[in-house]
Amino acid sequence: MNPIIRLTNRNLTIALNPGFLIWQVIFPLIYIFVAGFAYTSLIAVVPFENMKLNYPAFLSTGMIGFNIMNSTLISGIIIWNDRRHGMFEQILSGPFTRAQYILSNVVTIGIVGLVSAALIAFIAYPVFAESSTFSILTIPIIIFASITGSLLFGSIASIISTRIKSSEGFNVIINTVFLFFAFVSTAFYPASGTPEPLATIFYLNPLTYLVDVVRAGIFGSFTNFVVIEMLVLIGLASSLFIIATKLLTKLDF
Amino acid sequence: MSSIVAKSLSKSYNSVNAVDGIDLNVKSGQVFGFLGPNGAGKSTAIKLLTTLIPPTSGELQILGINAKENPLEIRCRIGVVLQQPSYEPSLSVEKSLEKYGLMWDVPRKTRKERVEELLSDFDLQDIRKKKTEDLSIGQRRRLQVAREFMHDMELLFLDEPTIGLDPSARRKLLDFLKRKVKDGLTIFFTTHVLTEAEYICDKIAIINKGKIIAVDSPDDLKNRFGRKKTIKIHLSKINENLTNLLSEVKDCKIDFTTGSNIIINSDESEAILLQVLQILNSNNITIEDLSAMPTNLEEIFLKVVDESNESNN
Repeated sequence: MNPIIRLTNRNLTIALNPGFLIWQVIFPLIYIFVAGFAYTSLIAVVPFENMKLNYPAFLSTGMIGFNIMNSTLISGIIIWNDRRHGMFEQILSGPFTRAQYILSNVVTIGIVGLVSAALIAFIAYPVFAESSTFSILTIPIIIFASITGSLLFGSIASIISTRIKSSEGFNVIINTVFLFFAFVSTAFYPASGTPEPLATIFYLNPLTYLVDVVRAGIFGSFTNFVVIEMLVLIGLASSLFIIATKLLTKLDF
Repeated sequence: MSSIVAKSLSKSYNSVNAVDGIDLNVKSGQVFGFLGPNGAGKSTAIKLLTTLIPPTSGELQILGINAKENPLEIRCRIGVVLQQPSYEPSLSVEKSLEKYGLMWDVPRKTRKERVEELLSDFDLQDIRKKKTEDLSIGQRRRLQVAREFMHDMELLFLDEPTIGLDPSARRKLLDFLKRKVKDGLTIFFTTHVLTEAEYICDKIAIINKGKIIAVDSPDDLKNRFGRKKTIKIHLSKINENLTNLLSEVKDCKIDFTTGSNIIINSDESEAILLQVLQILNSNNITIEDLSAMPTNLEEIFLKVVDESNESNN
Protein backbone atom coordinates (compact mmCIF):
# COMPACT_ATOMS: atom_id res chain seq x y z
CA MET A 1 0.00 0.00 0.00
CA ASN A 2 1.21 3.49 -0.82
CA PRO A 3 2.84 5.25 2.17
CA ILE A 4 0.54 8.30 1.77
CA ILE A 5 -2.56 6.08 1.89
CA ARG A 6 -1.19 4.31 5.00
CA LEU A 7 -0.56 7.62 6.74
CA THR A 8 -3.95 8.99 5.65
CA ASN A 9 -5.63 5.91 7.09
CA ARG A 10 -3.81 6.51 10.37
CA ASN A 11 -4.68 10.25 10.32
CA LEU A 12 -8.37 9.55 9.78
CA THR A 13 -8.40 6.95 12.57
CA ILE A 14 -6.83 9.24 15.15
CA ALA A 15 -8.61 12.45 14.11
CA LEU A 16 -12.18 11.32 13.54
CA ASN A 17 -13.34 10.76 17.08
CA PRO A 18 -17.08 10.81 17.87
CA GLY A 19 -16.83 14.22 19.54
CA PHE A 20 -15.34 15.81 16.44
CA LEU A 21 -17.92 14.22 14.14
CA ILE A 22 -20.87 15.29 16.30
CA TRP A 23 -19.50 18.82 16.52
CA GLN A 24 -19.00 18.89 12.75
CA VAL A 25 -22.68 18.06 12.15
CA ILE A 26 -24.51 19.57 15.12
CA PHE A 27 -22.80 22.96 15.01
CA PRO A 28 -23.84 23.90 11.43
CA LEU A 29 -27.27 22.35 11.88
CA ILE A 30 -27.97 24.65 14.83
CA TYR A 31 -26.92 27.61 12.70
CA ILE A 32 -29.07 26.58 9.75
CA PHE A 33 -32.20 25.33 11.48
CA VAL A 34 -32.21 27.52 14.59
CA ALA A 35 -30.43 30.78 13.75
CA GLY A 36 -31.39 30.62 10.06
CA PHE A 37 -35.13 30.36 10.68
CA ALA A 38 -35.12 32.53 13.83
CA TYR A 39 -33.59 35.45 11.91
CA THR A 40 -36.26 35.35 9.15
CA SER A 41 -38.40 37.70 11.21
CA LEU A 42 -35.55 40.27 11.03
CA ILE A 43 -34.19 39.45 7.56
CA ALA A 44 -36.91 38.92 5.00
CA VAL A 45 -34.71 38.47 1.92
CA VAL A 46 -31.00 38.59 1.18
CA PRO A 47 -29.90 40.07 -2.15
CA PHE A 48 -27.46 37.76 -3.97
CA GLU A 49 -26.34 38.61 -7.51
CA ASN A 50 -29.65 39.13 -9.33
CA MET A 51 -31.62 36.92 -6.95
CA LYS A 52 -33.44 37.43 -3.70
CA LEU A 53 -32.79 34.53 -1.33
CA ASN A 54 -34.48 33.75 1.94
CA TYR A 55 -32.09 33.90 4.88
CA PRO A 56 -32.01 30.13 5.68
CA ALA A 57 -31.06 29.39 2.03
CA PHE A 58 -28.34 32.06 2.12
CA LEU A 59 -27.01 30.87 5.50
CA SER A 60 -27.08 27.14 4.71
CA THR A 61 -24.88 27.63 1.63
CA GLY A 62 -22.55 29.77 3.74
CA MET A 63 -22.40 26.96 6.28
CA ILE A 64 -20.99 24.60 3.65
CA GLY A 65 -17.93 26.84 3.31
CA PHE A 66 -17.84 27.39 7.05
CA ASN A 67 -17.85 23.64 7.65
CA ILE A 68 -15.06 23.04 5.13
CA MET A 69 -12.97 25.57 7.05
CA ASN A 70 -13.79 24.06 10.43
CA SER A 71 -13.03 20.51 9.32
CA THR A 72 -9.52 21.51 8.26
CA LEU A 73 -8.74 22.28 11.87
CA ILE A 74 -7.87 18.59 12.14
CA SER A 75 -4.78 19.20 10.02
CA GLY A 76 -3.36 21.52 12.67
CA ILE A 77 -4.57 19.23 15.45
CA ILE A 78 -2.87 16.18 13.88
CA ILE A 79 0.47 17.97 13.46
CA TRP A 80 0.31 19.58 16.89
CA ASN A 81 -0.62 16.30 18.59
CA ASP A 82 2.06 14.40 16.67
CA ARG A 83 4.67 16.84 17.91
CA ARG A 84 3.34 16.85 21.45
CA HIS A 85 3.05 13.07 21.75
CA GLY A 86 6.31 12.22 19.96
CA MET A 87 4.64 10.71 16.89
CA PHE A 88 6.11 13.26 14.47
CA GLU A 89 9.62 12.04 15.24
CA GLN A 90 8.50 8.41 15.42
CA ILE A 91 6.80 8.52 12.01
CA LEU A 92 9.76 10.20 10.39
CA SER A 93 12.16 7.67 11.87
CA GLY A 94 10.10 5.04 10.03
CA PRO A 95 9.45 4.34 6.34
CA PHE A 96 8.16 7.83 5.50
CA THR A 97 9.55 11.09 4.16
CA ARG A 98 8.48 14.56 5.30
CA ALA A 99 6.86 15.10 1.90
CA GLN A 100 4.74 11.97 2.42
CA TYR A 101 3.78 13.14 5.90
CA ILE A 102 2.69 16.53 4.54
CA LEU A 103 0.84 15.04 1.56
CA SER A 104 -1.00 12.60 3.82
CA ASN A 105 -2.26 15.59 5.79
CA VAL A 106 -3.41 17.24 2.58
CA VAL A 107 -5.27 14.09 1.52
CA THR A 108 -6.78 13.78 5.00
CA ILE A 109 -8.15 17.32 5.07
CA GLY A 110 -9.25 17.00 1.43
CA ILE A 111 -11.32 13.93 2.33
CA VAL A 112 -12.71 15.49 5.52
CA GLY A 113 -13.47 18.76 3.69
CA LEU A 114 -15.28 16.99 0.85
CA VAL A 115 -17.28 14.77 3.19
CA SER A 116 -18.18 17.77 5.38
CA ALA A 117 -19.32 19.79 2.38
CA ALA A 118 -21.35 16.88 1.03
CA LEU A 119 -22.90 16.19 4.42
CA ILE A 120 -24.05 19.76 5.01
CA ALA A 121 -25.21 20.12 1.39
CA PHE A 122 -27.26 16.94 1.79
CA ILE A 123 -28.80 17.92 5.14
CA ALA A 124 -29.46 21.54 4.14
CA TYR A 125 -30.71 20.69 0.65
CA PRO A 126 -34.42 21.16 1.53
CA VAL A 127 -33.56 24.64 2.81
CA PHE A 128 -31.87 25.93 -0.36
CA ALA A 129 -33.46 23.59 -2.93
CA GLU A 130 -36.08 26.15 -4.03
CA SER A 131 -33.49 28.75 -5.06
CA SER A 132 -30.80 26.39 -6.33
CA THR A 133 -29.99 26.10 -10.01
CA PHE A 134 -28.05 22.96 -10.72
CA SER A 135 -25.91 22.99 -13.81
CA ILE A 136 -23.06 20.96 -15.20
CA LEU A 137 -20.70 23.21 -13.21
CA THR A 138 -22.38 22.89 -9.81
CA ILE A 139 -20.73 19.69 -8.57
CA PRO A 140 -17.23 20.47 -10.01
CA ILE A 141 -17.35 23.94 -8.46
CA ILE A 142 -18.32 22.58 -5.03
CA ILE A 143 -15.58 19.94 -5.28
CA PHE A 144 -13.10 22.65 -6.33
CA ALA A 145 -14.16 24.82 -3.39
CA SER A 146 -13.91 21.90 -0.95
CA ILE A 147 -10.42 20.90 -2.03
CA THR A 148 -8.98 24.39 -2.43
CA GLY A 149 -10.61 25.57 0.80
CA SER A 150 -9.32 22.51 2.66
CA LEU A 151 -5.82 23.10 1.37
CA LEU A 152 -5.96 26.79 2.23
CA PHE A 153 -7.33 26.54 5.75
CA GLY A 154 -5.46 23.29 6.41
CA SER A 155 -2.24 25.13 5.59
CA ILE A 156 -3.15 27.96 7.97
CA ALA A 157 -3.86 25.45 10.76
CA SER A 158 -0.58 23.64 9.95
CA ILE A 159 1.41 26.89 10.05
CA ILE A 160 -0.04 27.72 13.48
CA SER A 161 0.67 24.19 14.74
CA THR A 162 4.33 24.41 13.73
CA ARG A 163 4.84 27.73 15.50
CA ILE A 164 2.97 27.24 18.78
CA LYS A 165 4.21 24.82 21.43
CA SER A 166 1.76 25.13 24.34
CA SER A 167 -1.71 23.60 24.12
CA GLU A 168 -3.29 26.76 25.57
CA GLY A 169 -1.52 28.95 23.02
CA PHE A 170 -2.48 26.64 20.16
CA ASN A 171 -6.17 26.56 21.17
CA VAL A 172 -6.43 30.31 21.79
CA ILE A 173 -4.75 31.27 18.53
CA ILE A 174 -6.49 28.75 16.31
CA ASN A 175 -9.92 29.58 17.76
CA THR A 176 -9.33 33.33 17.49
CA VAL A 177 -8.14 33.10 13.89
CA PHE A 178 -10.97 30.82 12.82
CA LEU A 179 -13.55 32.92 14.72
CA PHE A 180 -12.33 35.97 12.82
CA PHE A 181 -12.57 34.08 9.53
CA ALA A 182 -16.09 32.87 10.33
CA PHE A 183 -17.68 36.15 11.36
CA VAL A 184 -15.78 38.63 9.18
CA SER A 185 -16.91 36.90 6.01
CA THR A 186 -19.96 36.50 3.81
CA ALA A 187 -20.83 33.14 5.43
CA PHE A 188 -23.49 34.73 7.67
CA TYR A 189 -24.36 37.97 5.86
CA PRO A 190 -23.79 39.53 2.41
CA ALA A 191 -20.98 42.03 1.84
CA SER A 192 -23.27 44.38 -0.07
CA GLY A 193 -24.95 46.75 2.36
CA THR A 194 -22.40 46.06 5.11
CA PRO A 195 -20.88 49.34 6.37
CA GLU A 196 -17.30 50.22 5.41
CA PRO A 197 -14.59 49.29 6.25
CA LEU A 198 -16.22 45.98 7.21
CA ALA A 199 -17.33 45.23 3.64
CA THR A 200 -13.75 45.68 2.40
CA ILE A 201 -12.35 43.61 5.27
CA PHE A 202 -14.70 40.80 4.21
CA TYR A 203 -12.67 40.54 1.01
CA LEU A 204 -9.42 40.26 2.90
CA ASN A 205 -10.76 37.00 4.28
CA PRO A 206 -10.32 33.79 2.26
CA LEU A 207 -13.54 32.32 3.69
CA THR A 208 -15.49 35.00 1.81
CA TYR A 209 -14.04 33.76 -1.49
CA LEU A 210 -14.70 30.15 -0.56
CA VAL A 211 -18.32 30.83 0.43
CA ASP A 212 -18.92 32.98 -2.68
CA VAL A 213 -17.67 30.17 -4.93
CA VAL A 214 -19.86 27.58 -3.16
CA ARG A 215 -22.91 29.87 -3.55
CA ALA A 216 -22.08 30.50 -7.21
CA GLY A 217 -22.10 26.74 -7.76
CA ILE A 218 -25.36 26.15 -5.94
CA PHE A 219 -27.32 29.19 -7.19
CA GLY A 220 -25.88 29.10 -10.72
CA SER A 221 -24.44 32.65 -10.61
CA PHE A 222 -21.14 31.93 -12.27
CA THR A 223 -19.84 35.46 -13.04
CA ASN A 224 -16.41 36.84 -13.99
CA PHE A 225 -15.95 37.96 -10.40
CA VAL A 226 -16.40 34.37 -9.24
CA VAL A 227 -13.65 33.29 -11.65
CA ILE A 228 -11.38 35.91 -10.07
CA GLU A 229 -12.35 34.63 -6.62
CA MET A 230 -11.46 31.09 -7.70
CA LEU A 231 -8.07 32.29 -8.93
CA VAL A 232 -7.50 34.13 -5.63
CA LEU A 233 -8.35 30.91 -3.78
CA ILE A 234 -5.87 28.92 -5.89
CA GLY A 235 -3.14 31.54 -5.39
CA LEU A 236 -3.69 31.80 -1.64
CA ALA A 237 -3.98 28.04 -1.12
CA SER A 238 -0.77 27.39 -3.11
CA SER A 239 1.21 30.11 -1.31
CA LEU A 240 0.07 29.04 2.15
CA PHE A 241 0.69 25.38 1.32
CA ILE A 242 4.25 26.18 0.27
CA ILE A 243 4.83 28.14 3.50
CA ALA A 244 3.33 25.31 5.61
CA THR A 245 5.48 22.74 3.81
CA LYS A 246 8.65 24.81 4.31
CA LEU A 247 7.90 25.27 8.00
CA LEU A 248 7.22 21.56 8.44
CA THR A 249 10.38 20.67 6.55
CA LYS A 250 12.44 22.94 8.79
CA LEU A 251 10.84 21.61 11.96
CA ASP A 252 13.71 20.29 14.06
CA PHE A 253 13.79 17.20 16.23
CA MET B 1 29.32 -8.26 8.60
CA SER B 2 28.80 -4.81 10.11
CA SER B 3 25.39 -3.23 10.65
CA ILE B 4 26.74 0.22 11.48
CA VAL B 5 29.95 1.77 10.20
CA ALA B 6 30.56 5.40 11.13
CA LYS B 7 33.74 7.30 10.30
CA SER B 8 34.49 10.70 11.88
CA LEU B 9 30.77 11.33 12.28
CA SER B 10 30.03 14.81 13.67
CA LYS B 11 27.03 16.97 14.40
CA SER B 12 27.36 20.59 15.46
CA TYR B 13 24.72 23.03 16.65
CA ASN B 14 25.82 26.69 16.63
CA SER B 15 29.49 25.65 16.67
CA VAL B 16 28.95 23.29 19.63
CA ASN B 17 29.91 19.72 18.77
CA ALA B 18 27.12 17.48 20.09
CA VAL B 19 28.77 14.53 18.37
CA ASP B 20 32.46 15.03 17.71
CA GLY B 21 34.02 12.77 15.10
CA ILE B 22 32.91 9.36 16.36
CA ASP B 23 33.99 6.09 14.76
CA LEU B 24 31.76 3.06 15.19
CA ASN B 25 31.73 -0.47 13.90
CA VAL B 26 28.75 -2.48 15.12
CA LYS B 27 28.82 -6.12 14.07
CA SER B 28 25.56 -7.77 13.03
CA GLY B 29 23.78 -10.03 15.51
CA GLN B 30 25.06 -8.36 18.67
CA VAL B 31 23.80 -5.92 21.28
CA PHE B 32 25.93 -2.80 21.16
CA GLY B 33 25.65 -0.68 24.29
CA PHE B 34 26.09 3.06 24.09
CA LEU B 35 26.72 4.60 27.47
CA GLY B 36 27.44 8.12 28.59
CA PRO B 37 26.47 10.75 31.15
CA ASN B 38 23.55 13.14 30.54
CA GLY B 39 24.24 15.44 27.60
CA ALA B 40 27.14 13.31 26.38
CA GLY B 41 25.65 13.11 22.86
CA LYS B 42 23.91 9.72 23.01
CA SER B 43 20.52 10.85 21.71
CA THR B 44 22.08 13.05 19.01
CA ALA B 45 24.16 10.06 17.92
CA ILE B 46 21.01 7.91 17.70
CA LYS B 47 19.26 10.58 15.63
CA LEU B 48 22.24 10.63 13.28
CA LEU B 49 22.38 6.84 13.02
CA THR B 50 18.64 6.59 12.36
CA THR B 51 18.94 9.31 9.67
CA LEU B 52 16.52 11.59 11.53
CA ILE B 53 19.10 14.38 11.30
CA PRO B 54 21.92 14.79 8.78
CA PRO B 55 25.53 14.82 10.00
CA THR B 56 27.63 18.00 9.78
CA SER B 57 30.50 15.86 8.51
CA GLY B 58 31.70 12.27 8.35
CA GLU B 59 30.58 9.07 6.70
CA LEU B 60 27.85 6.68 7.74
CA GLN B 61 26.77 3.31 6.44
CA ILE B 62 23.83 1.49 7.97
CA LEU B 63 23.24 -2.11 6.85
CA GLY B 64 25.66 -1.42 4.02
CA ILE B 65 23.62 1.55 2.75
CA ASN B 66 25.04 5.06 2.49
CA ALA B 67 23.02 7.18 4.93
CA LYS B 68 23.43 10.40 2.98
CA GLU B 69 22.26 8.90 -0.30
CA ASN B 70 19.48 6.54 0.79
CA PRO B 71 18.12 7.48 4.23
CA LEU B 72 14.62 6.19 3.43
CA GLU B 73 15.93 2.78 2.39
CA ILE B 74 17.70 2.56 5.76
CA ARG B 75 14.61 3.63 7.71
CA CYS B 76 12.57 0.92 5.96
CA ARG B 77 14.92 -1.72 7.43
CA ILE B 78 15.45 -0.48 10.97
CA GLY B 79 13.33 -0.03 14.08
CA VAL B 80 13.60 2.92 16.42
CA VAL B 81 12.40 3.41 19.99
CA LEU B 82 13.31 6.95 20.88
CA GLN B 83 13.93 8.21 24.39
CA GLN B 84 10.90 10.49 24.42
CA PRO B 85 7.49 8.84 24.76
CA SER B 86 5.50 8.51 21.54
CA TYR B 87 1.89 7.39 21.44
CA GLU B 88 -1.51 7.97 19.90
CA PRO B 89 -3.54 9.19 22.89
CA SER B 90 -6.96 8.43 21.43
CA LEU B 91 -6.21 4.82 20.45
CA SER B 92 -6.47 1.73 22.63
CA VAL B 93 -3.40 -0.44 23.25
CA GLU B 94 -4.38 -3.07 20.66
CA LYS B 95 -5.48 -0.46 18.13
CA SER B 96 -2.14 1.33 18.55
CA LEU B 97 -0.28 -1.88 17.75
CA GLU B 98 -2.57 -2.65 14.84
CA LYS B 99 -2.31 0.84 13.30
CA TYR B 100 1.46 0.87 13.73
CA GLY B 101 1.64 -2.43 11.85
CA LEU B 102 -0.52 -0.93 9.10
CA MET B 103 1.77 2.09 8.88
CA TRP B 104 4.62 -0.35 8.23
CA ASP B 105 2.55 -2.13 5.57
CA VAL B 106 2.39 -5.39 7.51
CA PRO B 107 -0.29 -7.67 5.96
CA ARG B 108 -3.58 -7.81 7.89
CA LYS B 109 -3.24 -11.49 8.90
CA THR B 110 0.32 -11.01 10.18
CA ARG B 111 -0.78 -7.85 12.01
CA LYS B 112 -3.48 -9.74 13.85
CA GLU B 113 -1.10 -12.52 14.88
CA ARG B 114 1.63 -10.12 15.99
CA VAL B 115 -0.77 -8.01 18.05
CA GLU B 116 -1.73 -11.11 20.05
CA GLU B 117 1.89 -12.24 20.43
CA LEU B 118 3.09 -8.84 21.59
CA LEU B 119 0.17 -8.31 23.96
CA SER B 120 1.26 -11.55 25.59
CA ASP B 121 5.05 -10.98 25.45
CA PHE B 122 4.76 -7.53 26.98
CA ASP B 123 2.01 -8.32 29.52
CA LEU B 124 -0.46 -5.96 27.89
CA GLN B 125 -3.49 -8.29 27.62
CA ASP B 126 -5.26 -6.86 30.66
CA ILE B 127 -5.03 -3.33 29.31
CA ARG B 128 -5.56 -4.10 25.63
CA LYS B 129 -8.77 -2.01 25.47
CA LYS B 130 -7.40 0.85 27.54
CA LYS B 131 -6.65 4.13 25.78
CA THR B 132 -2.96 4.93 25.68
CA GLU B 133 -3.54 8.35 27.26
CA ASP B 134 -4.84 6.52 30.36
CA LEU B 135 -1.79 4.25 30.75
CA SER B 136 0.92 4.62 33.38
CA ILE B 137 4.39 5.69 32.26
CA GLY B 138 5.69 2.11 32.48
CA GLN B 139 2.73 0.65 30.56
CA ARG B 140 3.13 3.28 27.86
CA ARG B 141 6.84 2.53 27.57
CA ARG B 142 6.13 -1.19 27.27
CA LEU B 143 3.66 -0.46 24.50
CA GLN B 144 6.15 1.81 22.75
CA VAL B 145 8.78 -0.92 22.69
CA ALA B 146 6.27 -3.67 21.82
CA ARG B 147 4.92 -1.59 18.93
CA GLU B 148 8.31 -1.61 17.22
CA PHE B 149 8.17 -5.40 16.95
CA MET B 150 5.02 -5.18 14.81
CA HIS B 151 7.30 -4.91 11.78
CA ASP B 152 10.33 -6.86 10.60
CA MET B 153 13.71 -5.21 10.94
CA GLU B 154 17.40 -6.03 10.83
CA LEU B 155 18.63 -3.37 13.22
CA LEU B 156 16.86 -1.89 16.24
CA PHE B 157 17.79 1.34 18.01
CA LEU B 158 16.66 1.49 21.62
CA ASP B 159 17.23 4.79 23.40
CA GLU B 160 16.84 4.07 27.11
CA PRO B 161 13.97 1.60 26.60
CA THR B 162 13.64 0.62 30.26
CA ILE B 163 12.82 4.11 31.58
CA GLY B 164 9.82 3.82 33.89
CA LEU B 165 9.78 0.01 33.97
CA ASP B 166 9.70 -1.91 37.23
CA PRO B 167 12.52 -4.46 37.81
CA SER B 168 10.41 -7.41 36.70
CA ALA B 169 9.23 -5.73 33.49
CA ARG B 170 12.80 -4.59 32.86
CA ARG B 171 14.18 -8.11 33.16
CA LYS B 172 11.39 -9.51 30.93
CA LEU B 173 12.17 -6.91 28.29
CA LEU B 174 15.90 -7.63 28.38
CA ASP B 175 15.26 -11.38 28.08
CA PHE B 176 12.86 -10.74 25.19
CA LEU B 177 15.57 -8.68 23.46
CA LYS B 178 18.14 -11.42 24.04
CA ARG B 179 15.83 -13.91 22.30
CA LYS B 180 15.45 -11.56 19.34
CA VAL B 181 19.23 -11.17 19.07
CA LYS B 182 19.55 -14.96 18.99
CA ASP B 183 17.18 -14.87 16.01
CA GLY B 184 19.58 -12.52 14.20
CA LEU B 185 18.52 -9.02 15.22
CA THR B 186 21.20 -6.38 15.89
CA ILE B 187 20.46 -3.93 18.71
CA PHE B 188 21.97 -0.53 19.40
CA PHE B 189 21.13 0.09 23.03
CA THR B 190 21.57 3.16 25.22
CA THR B 191 20.94 3.10 28.93
CA HIS B 192 21.86 4.74 32.21
CA VAL B 193 21.41 1.49 34.10
CA LEU B 194 24.84 -0.09 33.88
CA THR B 195 23.78 -3.44 35.28
CA GLU B 196 21.46 -3.66 32.27
CA ALA B 197 24.30 -2.95 29.88
CA GLU B 198 26.39 -5.58 31.62
CA TYR B 199 23.50 -8.08 31.36
CA ILE B 200 22.65 -7.61 27.71
CA CYS B 201 25.50 -6.00 25.78
CA ASP B 202 28.15 -7.84 23.80
CA LYS B 203 30.12 -4.67 23.26
CA ILE B 204 30.00 -1.27 24.90
CA ALA B 205 31.05 2.20 23.80
CA ILE B 206 31.33 5.02 26.33
CA ILE B 207 30.71 8.51 25.00
CA ASN B 208 31.54 11.75 26.81
CA LYS B 209 31.27 15.29 25.48
CA GLY B 210 30.50 13.98 22.00
CA LYS B 211 33.58 11.76 21.79
CA ILE B 212 33.86 7.99 22.20
CA ILE B 213 36.33 7.41 25.01
CA ALA B 214 36.24 3.60 25.25
CA VAL B 215 34.92 0.69 23.18
CA ASP B 216 35.17 -2.95 24.24
CA SER B 217 33.28 -5.93 25.56
CA PRO B 218 32.11 -5.56 29.20
CA ASP B 219 34.74 -8.10 30.36
CA ASP B 220 37.59 -6.45 28.46
CA LEU B 221 36.55 -3.05 29.78
CA LYS B 222 36.77 -4.48 33.30
CA ASN B 223 40.20 -5.94 32.58
CA ARG B 224 41.44 -2.70 31.06
CA PHE B 225 40.04 -0.24 33.56
CA GLY B 226 39.09 -2.34 36.56
CA ARG B 227 42.46 -3.32 38.07
CA LYS B 228 41.50 -1.74 41.37
CA LYS B 229 39.73 -4.35 43.50
CA THR B 230 37.89 -3.99 46.77
CA ILE B 231 38.32 -6.58 49.55
CA LYS B 232 36.35 -6.41 52.75
CA ILE B 233 37.43 -8.11 56.01
CA HIS B 234 34.89 -8.33 58.82
CA LEU B 235 36.36 -8.96 62.29
CA SER B 236 34.53 -10.85 65.01
CA LYS B 237 34.94 -8.02 67.52
CA ILE B 238 36.16 -4.46 67.68
CA ASN B 239 39.86 -4.14 68.35
CA GLU B 240 40.84 -0.72 69.71
CA ASN B 241 44.46 -1.15 68.67
CA LEU B 242 43.60 -1.86 65.03
CA THR B 243 44.27 1.68 63.77
CA ASN B 244 47.83 1.55 65.13
CA LEU B 245 48.45 -1.96 63.82
CA LEU B 246 47.44 -1.07 60.26
CA SER B 247 48.84 2.45 60.19
CA GLU B 248 51.74 1.42 57.95
CA VAL B 249 49.55 -0.42 55.40
CA LYS B 250 48.60 1.73 52.37
CA ASP B 251 45.15 1.73 50.67
CA CYS B 252 43.58 0.18 53.72
CA LYS B 253 40.71 1.76 55.64
CA ILE B 254 39.08 0.80 58.91
CA ASP B 255 35.32 1.25 59.20
CA PHE B 256 33.85 0.93 62.70
CA THR B 257 30.35 2.09 61.78
CA THR B 258 29.07 -1.33 60.71
CA GLY B 259 30.99 -3.41 63.23
CA SER B 260 34.70 -3.77 62.67
CA ASN B 261 35.47 -3.75 58.96
CA ILE B 262 38.74 -3.40 57.11
CA ILE B 263 38.38 -2.28 53.50
CA ILE B 264 41.21 -2.68 51.02
CA ASN B 265 40.86 -0.79 47.76
CA SER B 266 43.93 -0.90 45.58
CA ASP B 267 45.53 -1.98 42.30
CA GLU B 268 47.52 -4.42 44.47
CA SER B 269 44.71 -5.66 46.68
CA GLU B 270 46.00 -9.25 46.89
CA ALA B 271 49.46 -8.19 48.17
CA ILE B 272 47.93 -5.82 50.71
CA LEU B 273 45.53 -8.56 51.82
CA LEU B 274 48.45 -10.87 52.63
CA GLN B 275 50.11 -8.08 54.62
CA VAL B 276 46.92 -7.38 56.61
CA LEU B 277 46.29 -11.09 57.26
CA GLN B 278 49.81 -11.48 58.68
CA ILE B 279 49.29 -8.53 61.03
CA LEU B 280 45.90 -9.85 62.17
CA ASN B 281 47.29 -13.36 62.69
CA SER B 282 50.30 -12.24 64.66
CA ASN B 283 48.00 -10.22 66.96
CA ASN B 284 45.47 -13.07 67.38
CA ILE B 285 42.64 -11.10 65.80
CA THR B 286 39.93 -13.39 64.44
CA ILE B 287 38.29 -12.86 61.10
CA GLU B 288 34.54 -13.52 60.84
CA ASP B 289 34.10 -12.93 57.13
CA LEU B 290 36.15 -12.01 54.10
CA SER B 291 34.74 -10.95 50.73
CA ALA B 292 36.06 -9.62 47.44
CA MET B 293 33.75 -7.30 45.53
CA PRO B 294 33.87 -7.80 41.78
CA THR B 295 34.61 -4.75 39.67
CA ASN B 296 31.39 -3.57 38.11
CA LEU B 297 30.71 -1.58 35.00
CA GLU B 298 29.51 1.37 37.04
CA GLU B 299 32.94 1.89 38.59
CA ILE B 300 34.58 1.58 35.20
CA PHE B 301 32.10 4.00 33.67
CA LEU B 302 32.74 6.57 36.42
CA LYS B 303 36.48 6.09 36.14
CA VAL B 304 36.60 6.41 32.35
CA VAL B 305 34.32 9.46 32.33
CA ASP B 306 36.28 11.13 35.16
CA GLU B 307 39.56 10.51 33.38
CA SER B 308 38.12 11.92 30.16
CA ASN B 309 36.84 15.03 31.98
CA GLU B 310 40.23 15.54 33.67
CA SER B 311 42.13 15.24 30.39
CA ASN B 312 39.69 17.72 28.77
CA ASN B 313 40.24 20.19 31.60
